[in-house]
Amino acid sequence: MVEDKRAVELDDVPCVVVDQVAMRYRVASTEIPRAATPDVRFLRKLKRSSNLVTVYALNELSLVVERGESVGIIGRNGSGKSTLMKIVSGQAKPSTGAVYASSTPVMLGVNAALVPELSGDQNIVLGCLAMGLSRAEIDQKFGQILELSGLERSIHLPMRSYSSGMSSRLRFAIAASLDPEILLIDEALNTGDAQFSDRSRQRMDELRSQAGCVFLVSHSLSTITEMCTRVLWLDKGDLIMDGVARDAVGAYRDFTKHLSKGNNISATKIKDEARALLVATEVQDRRNSRGKAGV
Amino acid sequence: MSAKKSTLPDPAAVQPLSVDMRQLTRVGARPGFLDYLVELWDYRHFVFFDARARVLNGTRRDRLGSAWLVLNPVFNGLTYYLIFGLLLHTSKGIKDFIGYLVIGIFLFQFSSGSITSGARAIHNGKRVIQAFNFPRATLVIGANIRELLTGVPMLLAMLIIVAVLPPEEKISWMWILIVPVVGLLFVFNLGVGLILARIVSKVHDITHLLPFAIRAWMYGSAVFYSFDRFITHPGVLAAVKINPLFVALDTARSAILYEQLPSWRSWTILAIWAFGALAVGMAFFWKAEESYGRG
Repeated sequence: MVEDKRAVELDDVPCVVVDQVAMRYRVASTEIPRAATPDVRFLRKLKRSSNLVTVYALNELSLVVERGESVGIIGRNGSGKSTLMKIVSGQAKPSTGAVYASSTPVMLGVNAALVPELSGDQNIVLGCLAMGLSRAEIDQKFGQILELSGLERSIHLPMRSYSSGMSSRLRFAIAASLDPEILLIDEALNTGDAQFSDRSRQRMDELRSQAGCVFLVSHSLSTITEMCTRVLWLDKGDLIMDGVARDAVGAYRDFTKHLSKGNNISATKIKDEARALLVATEVQDRRNSRGKAGV
Repeated sequence: MSAKKSTLPDPAAVQPLSVDMRQLTRVGARPGFLDYLVELWDYRHFVFFDARARVLNGTRRDRLGSAWLVLNPVFNGLTYYLIFGLLLHTSKGIKDFIGYLVIGIFLFQFSSGSITSGARAIHNGKRVIQAFNFPRATLVIGANIRELLTGVPMLLAMLIIVAVLPPEEKISWMWILIVPVVGLLFVFNLGVGLILARIVSKVHDITHLLPFAIRAWMYGSAVFYSFDRFITHPGVLAAVKINPLFVALDTARSAILYEQLPSWRSWTILAIWAFGALAVGMAFFWKAEESYGRG
């Protein structure tokens, strides 16, 4: 069914190229094979390696994202959305393949971990220094970060005394202080109270309008249709659909509707039909006129 | 089209895209060795801020605060003095045993502390590593600078003890030679720390072995006795005297206690150890730069 097409030449330099990326882990499973007798189990415990299971978090995937695109990623839990985001941002190294980008991608999330023993203001400076800002730039941005975090005088307390909402606000404020060209937003961001979520939404809109390209993971389909020009639908580590926001979100909505009614067969049918129409991407490096991108 | 889980249809087509990759860089790629060193230099503010903030916060929970930086080695010295000086009489044949012991204990503590925290720096900094992209060696360097900062008041206390406790030593210009000794020891610790940090990040079990190795190293470095009394075989004695910590102790003792200019041979041995360890450690650590903080 797969047929080759002539290569399309991209004139502009793209923002992000995902080249044949796949991710799998080996993890220990507590599931005990049925045949095991107690003493075999004991040996297994000692060896521990014998019950390793391979998890396919993301199957081979290639993408080219151009300047000005904002890409939404949708899918059920465990479909590989966050894995893909981590790989694009450089937080995780793919098992195979590589991601190329025109500048360092910045992930905007609440998981930017900081040092609990240090106070909030020290963590701001430390986090900014770790992102490569100079002292002068930090002095200039400090007020803005403090304001966005909304921590006021608690900023002088050690971070270990913060509530989880407070520390995620601080993390977000630090990560949002950069003006990145490539921006990744993981919308587990809906922590914090109403006041903060308004403020963070405003800052995110600002960043999105400045960024060259945006990746957005969200379970809110209306947010995705509203903000994204292109949507990827992932399921169990496979790319199902890659297309205009309205179409992909529509298909996905159908799919989940059938699933929640317990109509697994028709849901799978929707998924399979979408997948069968997918036009996958293969990246070719123009430097060597044919063949795949340099590794 | 079947309802079976595992049969996902192939994509309809594969669209090759020819991309100009020259202006793109691989996300998370390890820079060349020289670029890496330059990058480390660019992150110097991060290193110093991290080290200073943690030193100041390290003893904040204690009532005596920073006094523990000095009290800790003083108590340690007292313990060893009681056991080895008064009970076991290892002091025989050593001129000015208290000074000998104090210099041994303080410098050994500096070295073992630096190596241990350098070795654990990557493991302990995992959360910061996953949150930000920065050259990972900064964490090991930061850990060593932290130990150096806590080491300075400690060494001043050491000099005061040597000067005040009987038999009092005359303060001579040669005391300034403690600075290059500590400097070379710092470089050596950093190199060993870099090597161990990579190993510990892969095989965490090594941290359990580290205290034993360091204990053995202490006994092999004449911290509280003199080799000449216990080792008679000239070959073994020569081998033991190449040990960098022993050379450092010997150099410091001859300058501070015995007012003898340390020989060029000692300086050379120490410098070779220090810069050799740093060169090997830096290259070894850099090789695995992309793999830290994952899994």
